[in-house]
Amino acid sequence: MTASRFIVLSVALSLVALSADRGITANNERGAKLAAICASCHCLDGRDRGIPSIVGMDREKLADTMAAFKSGVRSGQIMHAVALSLSNEEIATLAEYLAAQLAETKPR
Amino acid sequence: MRWTRRRFGSFAGASCLAVLQARAARSQTKARVVVIGGGIGGATVAKYLAASAPKLDVTLVEPNPRYTTCFFSNLYLAGLRSLKSLTHDYETLARSYGINIIHNAAAAIDPVAKIVTLTGGTKLAYDRAVVAPGIAFKYGAIEGYDEAATQIIPHAWNAGPQTELLRKQLESMEDGGVFVIVAPPEPFRCPPGPYERASLVAYYFKQFKPRAKILILDAKDTFFEQDLFQDAWGRYYPGMIEWLPGQFTGGIKSVDVKTRAVKTAGETFNANVANIIPPQMAGELVQRAGLADQSGWCPIDPITFESTLQPGVHVVGDAISAGDMPKSAFASNSQAKVCAFAIEAALTGSEQPAPHLFNTCFTFLAPNDAVSDAMSFKPMGGSIKINDIFISQVGESAEMRRQVAHQADGWYAAFIHDVFG
Repeated sequence: MTASRFIVLSVALSLVALSADRGITANNERGAKLAAICASCHCLDGRDRGIPSIVGMDREKLADTMAAFKSGVRSGQIMHAVALSLSNEEIATLAEYLAAQLAETKPR
Repeated sequence: MRWTRRRFGSFAGASCLAVLQARAARSQTKARVVVIGGGIGGATVAKYLAASAPKLDVTLVEPNPRYTTCFFSNLYLAGLRSLKSLTHDYETLARSYGINIIHNAAAAIDPVAKIVTLTGGTKLAYDRAVVAPGIAFKYGAIEGYDEAATQIIPHAWNAGPQTELLRKQLESMEDGGVFVIVAPPEPFRCPPGPYERASLVAYYFKQFKPRAKILILDAKDTFFEQDLFQDAWGRYYPGMIEWLPGQFTGGIKSVDVKTRAVKTAGETFNANVANIIPPQMAGELVQRAGLADQSGWCPIDPITFESTLQPGVHVVGDAISAGDMPKSAFASNSQAKVCAFAIEAALTGSEQPAPHLFNTCFTFLAPNDAVSDAMSFKPMGGSIKINDIFISQVGESAEMRRQVAHQADGWYAAFIHDVFG
């Protein structure tokens, strides 16, 4: 590989990395803003003061739980109303965001 | 995790940091947002703006050093909670979120020059202003009930000294006395509130003044969750609470403050303790700032909560015409988040998420018997329309109601954490 080709490749790769990073960032920001809905009732610091913590859950389990509240399979009028108002895409974004908070709240 | 300004800003990682730094370098000064009113709506807007957009300079103007929530204050009247447990300060918002807190009142807003003037004379320039003044009372709507009268007959519809005064009067009332609650016409803050108050004061009377009576003189013919309340009154406090609808009273006309005599169109009722919850309008500042229309409330764009009368000024909470949304702390908090993300989008170019609006009220019928409702809303045709509504039902098991009461306590703790940090 010549020096110039190496530079071109490096630039191309970093552009790919940058745009992927921006994708993650945008999704993370969307997730954080959706999680603002949850924060009206759930403490997002992992504490349970009478309403269960929702950080530290497995992403799929969280998405499945929301789907169950949405369909009414699982009862709970507040969660039913919230889940019904969110699209499946929003639920997926939210679940990914909340699950990602697990790593940050785990002791290192 | 704590949703602090540092964390919100750092989630992006190193490469994004570079982008942020480049953007920061481009803008010489930070865009400024001035939030007026440190109740639930104002504090939530300030917190979410500071957390989500650290590039913004956020100032919160609030005269009082602490805020006492009116929601859950009926538990204080019943002797079930201290007023201290309902009182919160702004220290975390200042310390962890970097919000400039100014304990002063806003005297005027100039929407053309974009300047807020405080009563102390300080001028604050803004790129966007948010006004969250809550409610004001229409004194004089009931003849004889003015601001001075509240020191003898409390409204207790803003929590704090008024709530303490009402509790003291209830404590010193003789057994066999009559407690009169005057319930307001629509629209008013906290639709289940007057009736929860009757329920929880009845709980107190049942223990300490079992011959006492509660009389609700209503301006309305029906009220929110009426079947749930009347079922509970029959089960827990039989014969103690009487509710007289507007069609019976003909409306509440006047009050003689000295004798605590409340006069309706047809009859005069003598109270030993009275609580007058007057008709309401948006807080005083919005009337002066040209943010309210003829209804006395503030028209807004339901997607951004920007005033339709004064561009660049947003209004959230009890002061707005919110279509189907009730005037409640939960609704204010929900509106405030949508408003914060809209302002962030306008000032930083970030993507504004689709607005999601909700309301939930937890209402106590007795200490271990609470009910709740859940509503979702959508902006539609310039207003806010209800999408779904789910409400507790008469006949639910005692265990279910006990669980809702437990959830209510958990909700209060989480909600306060969400608003005040």
